[in-house]
Amino acid sequence: MTFSKRSLITLVILAIITTATYYFFARRGITYIWHWERIPEMLFYHGPKSADDPVVRLRMGILMIGFVLTLKISIASTFFGIIIGTVVGIARLSNEPMTKGLSLAYVEVIRNTPLLVQIYIIYFFVGSMLRLSAFAAGTAALSIFAGAYVAEIVRAGIQSIHKGQMEASRSLGMTYAQAMRYIILPQAFKRIIPPLAGQFISLIKDSSLVSVIALADLMFQGQQAVARTYHAFEIYFTVAFLYLVMTFTLSMATQYIEKRLAISD
Amino acid sequence: MIKARNIYKTFKTTDRREVKALVNFSTDIKKGEVVVIIGPSGSGKSTFLRCLNRLDEIDSGEIIIDGVNINDKKANINKIREEIGMVFQLFNLFPHKTVFENVALALIVVRKKSKEEALEIARGLLNKVGILEKENVYPAQLSGGQQQRVAIARALAMHPKIMMFDEATSALDPEMIGEVLEVMKTLAREGMTMVVVTHEMGFAREVSDRVVFMDEGQIVEEGTAEHFFTNPIHERTKLFLSQIL
Ligand SMILES: Nc1ncnc2c1ncn2[C@@H]1O[C@H](COP(=O)(O)OP(=O)(O)OP(=O)(O)O)[C@@H](O)[C@H]1O
Ligand SMILES: [Mg+2]
Repeated sequence: MTFSKRSLITLVILAIITTATYYFFARRGITYIWHWERIPEMLFYHGPKSADDPVVRLRMGILMIGFVLTLKISIASTFFGIIIGTVVGIARLSNEPMTKGLSLAYVEVIRNTPLLVQIYIIYFFVGSMLRLSAFAAGTAALSIFAGAYVAEIVRAGIQSIHKGQMEASRSLGMTYAQAMRYIILPQAFKRIIPPLAGQFISLIKDSSLVSVIALADLMFQGQQAVARTYHAFEIYFTVAFLYLVMTFTLSMATQYIEKRLAISD
Repeated sequence: MIKARNIYKTFKTTDRREVKALVNFSTDIKKGEVVVIIGPSGSGKSTFLRCLNRLDEIDSGEIIIDGVNINDKKANINKIREEIGMVFQLFNLFPHKTVFENVALALIVVRKKSKEEALEIARGLLNKVGILEKENVYPAQLSGGQQQRVAIARALAMHPKIMMFDEATSALDPEMIGEVLEVMKTLAREGMTMVVVTHEMGFAREVSDRVVFMDEGQIVEEGTAEHFFTNPIHERTKLFLSQIL
């Protein structure tokens, strides 16, 4: 099943749950007063921000601010995750015991400990030593986390390329690095697009964990909004929907890229 | 041009057995000479070629190409490889690159030529192997024979002094073998130094200066193609020839 189909189904299920909740409350005679009308202003509103910033204009609401931060941190850690993952993935295949050992240790440690713990360690320990902002610490934690998974995907991708490709490149006088850059990696990346996309979709969702270090991401802002207004259902449905917008867009983009790259097959 | 002296090469298989691929192997190949290597499967033919451009590393012995000891620590292996073109049984074209890019890539990346210069050289070579009209298609859209001709053009692009062919026609349908052999014969007649692993004895007879019969990592018998057709000496040679002819 493709990602976009899966996302569509998720969307349908979300709609069904919403309807079912309504129906259930009505049947049980629970008088939950829905306040969907409060949601739009949590996305965008027209007005002043505060007494300090009284200019009346279109502004992002609490959830949209979180959405943008989640987007930023996801894009940043996807970017660094690919860089770390590619370097470590190549290092995993090195003949040099030190390089091989260190890269393996990194992958195993990261993949076998909870992301939440990694976030705390990087934020409280590394982050305070290096005076990192919460955003930098959160991005670092997510990048290091994603990097370990990407490394394994990249390694498998490289290994899936016939060894004749490397031999042909080397026999033309290319260095190992040139052969990797021009011949092996482009073919490997094409092959690993689906698992990579899956990894980054997970990363978008996992990024919600950075809310624990008071980073104002979508999850954190949602919690804040609920604490302020008590409209838990409406807000969390909206939060879920906004995550879905990001993951769905990524799936669609992936499919487009896959189609474009299929030209040489 | 090539001096191979007392080459030993042993492989360790995955189940930890040792396979002696080359045993005290020596030969000299002169400039412009066309040498055909024949021998049963596993006799070390590919290994010899692969040691010449260090895709495999010899255990002991000495290989001197154009005065350079290629296994010397100071030797620049990438420079040496530029001088030795290699054509593989399974073509090994770059599937994500067009025909033109396959031929031009090393010129641009290794030789640092401009795209225009590379285009000109690539066009010339694609024309030479008779496949210029396909310069913008991807390898998957070509027949086996066409792919192998592109692979030859790709190797020639670096302007090598030596060309090696490792069973370049064995993966081809019979009707395509001729077109590839034709290109190889042209090269031979132009004076290219060639080391050719093949069982095409017609090719050997037409253009080779010497045929080498290998078995178990050693040279059993060598001579002209005519010699192999008319009076091979060793029993192993006779047996082998009876199987391929
Ligand atoms: N990378 C390797 N690992 C282990 N054994 C190898 C390796 N490469 C070659 N060998 C072994 O070395 C021996 C010589 O192999 P080689 O490929 O040179 O033979 P060949 O004469 O080219 O045979 P063929 O006609 O089948 O291509 C064989 O027994 C082969 O199994
Ligand atoms: Mg072979």
